[in-house]
Amino acid sequence: MIRQYAALLRNAWLVDLQYRASIVLWLLWGVTEPAVALGIWWAIAGDGQIAGYARADFARYFFALMLVNQLTIAWDSWYLDGWIREGELNFRLARPLHPAHEAVAENIAYKARTASVILVVWLLTSLVWPAVRLPFAPARWALTALAVLLAAAMRFFISFTTGLFAFWTTRASAIMELHAGVSLFLSGRLAPLALLPPAVAGVAAVLWFPYMLAFPVELLTGAAQGAAVARGFAGQLVWLGVWVAAYRFTWTRGLRRYGAVGG
Amino acid sequence: MTIRIPQSAIRILIALWRLNVVEELQYRANLVASLLGTLFWIGTALLTLAVFFSHTTRLGGWDYWEVVVLLGVFNALTGLIEAVLRPGIGRLAGEVRSGGLDLVLAKPVDAQGFVSFRRLDIWRLSDVVLGLALAGYALHRLGRTPGLLQLGAFVVALASAGVVVYSIWVVLMSLAFWFVSVENLSVLFDAVYEGARYPVSAYPEALRFLFVYLIPIAWTTTIPASALTGRLGPEIGLAAAAVAAIVFALARLLWRTALKHYTGASG
Repeated sequence: MIRQYAALLRNAWLVDLQYRASIVLWLLWGVTEPAVALGIWWAIAGDGQIAGYARADFARYFFALMLVNQLTIAWDSWYLDGWIREGELNFRLARPLHPAHEAVAENIAYKARTASVILVVWLLTSLVWPAVRLPFAPARWALTALAVLLAAAMRFFISFTTGLFAFWTTRASAIMELHAGVSLFLSGRLAPLALLPPAVAGVAAVLWFPYMLAFPVELLTGAAQGAAVARGFAGQLVWLGVWVAAYRFTWTRGLRRYGAVGG
Repeated sequence: MTIRIPQSAIRILIALWRLNVVEELQYRANLVASLLGTLFWIGTALLTLAVFFSHTTRLGGWDYWEVVVLLGVFNALTGLIEAVLRPGIGRLAGEVRSGGLDLVLAKPVDAQGFVSFRRLDIWRLSDVVLGLALAGYALHRLGRTPGLLQLGAFVVALASAGVVVYSIWVVLMSLAFWFVSVENLSVLFDAVYEGARYPVSAYPEALRFLFVYLIPIAWTTTIPASALTGRLGPEIGLAAAAVAAIVFALARLLWRTALKHYTGASG
């Protein structure tokens, strides 16, 4: 298994190297949304505070968001949609290795490259812009790493599962876009959850969205403390379990239904 | 640099678009999908504004309904981009890579014109209609009825906005001739255009300068919306037209230079 993963990772890394200019553009695209949101909140906050967030807090929140989002993002829904519709899933099924492993390796290779770019940019920015500096807290960073890992796993299974909907419908990517649209609010991409209307924040609290992004981000910035940290990890574990189960269900049902396209 | 529009060009354009429309009419369900997508997008954009405005009364000096007017303009331009630009000139980067551009260059028509306007996805024009309707409704909520002069300035500013957006695409796609391996150049447009969703006055000084003078996206949404709400006088229409002319000329110049750089990949 380790040898197989080493080969998959090497392969994914080299493919990405070939397309490094494209990856820079995807990276740029990924950070503009939080950058624009930061710009707007920066203007709204002025010299005051909104629900405990001053300008510097917004800066830290959205920088953390850029990093965590890059580390947890998953494109697998789009890949699977294509694989299933174009019949490219066939040769992947014929391999003695589950196709998910290839996707996981691609995720790791892509994220190692792009997230380190963001990290370096963040460090350089913090030299000239004190607002984005984080307090030195290695224990918190270790916890964040764990939360990011769980969030990445959950987003991977969400993306993979919705991609599998392509077994039944030709609009699987539309479902994923719907999910992305809802997550704009509920996962904290637009604003810290504390700033959302109470009703919206209430809906978010009973769904998986905050555990995809908002929780690891607030863990990193220090906004989540004490019991909230324990609750966050518990929520992550529960929802990860739910999505793994959903994935297993769709995978077995879908494969049974799959009539391969193409030779 | 001359721009001639011979009659044959118009005939070709009409023939191409008629073919497209006939093709699209086979997929009528796409109209419903497109409409639903647009409504969902407008819904999220309005909700986003609601979140912002629950903590403030003004965004860069604009009140809620003024920003909604801008949102309508943004949506109308998005429709133009998705109906004509992305399926037309947006495919260029891939064609430079594969050598498919050779087939275009061999045709006895202006390459830029053909590449730009060869496709028309009519269903996405629903975005233009919905966007303008949204802008109209917001204007009504503002309680402002634009005079004839103001309306004229808006039409000129909106047309100029279309030319500016188009020119930005031409510039981006011209880059494909130098950076052949970059197939997702259009992503760069999406990244930049994200900034046009809000009035430029909401951004810090440096960004404002960038959006007005260097990457002129302020002229695509902020200016037409300002012309419509009367925030800026009707003479802004003239300025917008001048900006559009300059940006178009520069884009055309870059396209010509880039084309000289092209050696073909399939030969």
